Amino acid sequence: MSDETKIDLELDLKGLLCPLPMVKVSQNINNVPVGGVIRAVATDPGAMADIPAWAQSTGNEVLSADKEGSEFVFLVKRVK
Amino acid sequence: MEKVQLETLTGVIDKKMNRQLKQYIDICARCAICKDACHQYVGTGDFKYLPARRAELIRQIYKKYFDKAGRFVPALYEAREPDDNLLDELYDSTYACTGCRRCMYYCPFSIDTAWILSVAKAILIAAGRGNEMLGQLADAAIFKGDNAAMFEGVMLSGFDDISEEVRAITGNPEHKVHVNKEGADVLYVALAGAHSIRPAAVIFEEAGENWTISMFEAANYGFFYGDTEKARIITKRYIDEAKRLGVKEIVVPECGHAYRVAEFFYEAWSKEPMPFKVSHILEKVDDYIKSGRIKVDRGKIAGKVTYHDPCQLGRNGGKFEQPRDIVKAVTSNFVDLTPNRAEQWCCGGGGGIVAMEEFKDVRLKSGIKKVEQLKASGASVLACPCENCRLQIEELNDVHGLGLEIWQVIDLVVAAMPLPGSQRSVEAAPAGEGANA
Repeated sequence: MSDETKIDLELDLKGLLCPLPMVKVSQNINNVPVGGVIRAVATDPGAMADIPAWAQSTGNEVLSADKEGSEFVFLVKRVK
Repeated sequence: MEKVQLETLTGVIDKKMNRQLKQYIDICARCAICKDACHQYVGTGDFKYLPARRAELIRQIYKKYFDKAGRFVPALYEAREPDDNLLDELYDSTYACTGCRRCMYYCPFSIDTAWILSVAKAILIAAGRGNEMLGQLADAAIFKGDNAAMFEGVMLSGFDDISEEVRAITGNPEHKVHVNKEGADVLYVALAGAHSIRPAAVIFEEAGENWTISMFEAANYGFFYGDTEKARIITKRYIDEAKRLGVKEIVVPECGHAYRVAEFFYEAWSKEPMPFKVSHILEKVDDYIKSGRIKVDRGKIAGKVTYHDPCQLGRNGGKFEQPRDIVKAVTSNFVDLTPNRAEQWCCGGGGGIVAMEEFKDVRLKSGIKKVEQLKASGASVLACPCENCRLQIEELNDVHGLGLEIWQVIDLVVAAMPLPGSQRSVEAAPAGEGANA
């Protein structure tokens, strides 16, 4: 999916400890237009639960959450 | 303000203002001793961060609706309606407060401004002005708890990865992160990050503790947000899990507010006695070291080491000596900050403020007393058992070029243990990544 999706904002969240990856995504979601996508790369495994939980509870959408080596890569779509 | 909303706000005040809080707002003599105690007022010089001023806003609203004199002659008795201007100021002064309660320590009447501000948060939430970020973090935690099965796979996978790292450190192929182990003595309620679990797992396994973790975490943004019902729900998750697993003791991680929530607030929120012994992880580690259950090498941590008392663990939690005893056990070159223990300066990063971008400027300015303390200590290593404090001090470290290595206490302990994988010295750790060790 990451090959096909237009990325509006890249967030380097490597080294940040949970819940900061979720906080940074939340702080930046309004910096992309509705329908826009953030690509966020984190290294804390806690983000694999935190970011999808944040998206679900705020009505946004995680298009994908993949482990790539020691990194966790998220595509988060602003829904509203 | 519309009548319905005003009735809602006055209803909140009526419900929250108990006898003690009414006494606080009556007895403030405006002596302003609190101005020299508050790191935020000292760091910014901004009147709205003066502790007595923060409480004064609540007093003004209270006078307007619950005091005869204030109701009939509001101008004379400084009674005000909660209009947009007042609520804007209340928002800034309330959510910027780190809840360190240093003002209370120095107040001649021990006025608990942080408690008064819990009323302010309830008013702001009722007015639809609660902090959005903290509300989102609280809601995300509740969602995660409500849908634990949805996240079980990724969490178990993460625990497996951490187990591998634990085995690499201890060299013992039997060691692992125990998950949902029924009949364990100890439930370790960690933070979401691996950094909170890995060193604790090494220590528990080496100590031979009968322990487990569960799917639920200790961080509680409902508490920072100011919604006691959300805070209760988040806490109840791990209390219920502890009951199900049949543990005897709950151990909270290196997180200031998590300790205070479990030890002091849950009973009041839930109206039920805490059914378990609550310990901080550093109480356990101190006991393991003193009883010989784990070994540490006092010479392994080089450099001058100091210790920061997180407000919620120290001044508000009473845990001063066990963390210091641990740090002194792993280094022969300990220096305390001045002042320390109950008089310790807040670093400026508590109360959820590190998650609120709008207060970044205030937050960094308010860290100036901590910067002065750290510089005066001459230390090159800081042990700090609180996530929010470490985030703040790491930023102060960068901004002011302090050159400090900042570590969780349990990371220092693991580094000092005679284990095959704990060879990393403090000097070898990348700057600002001590908490990732």
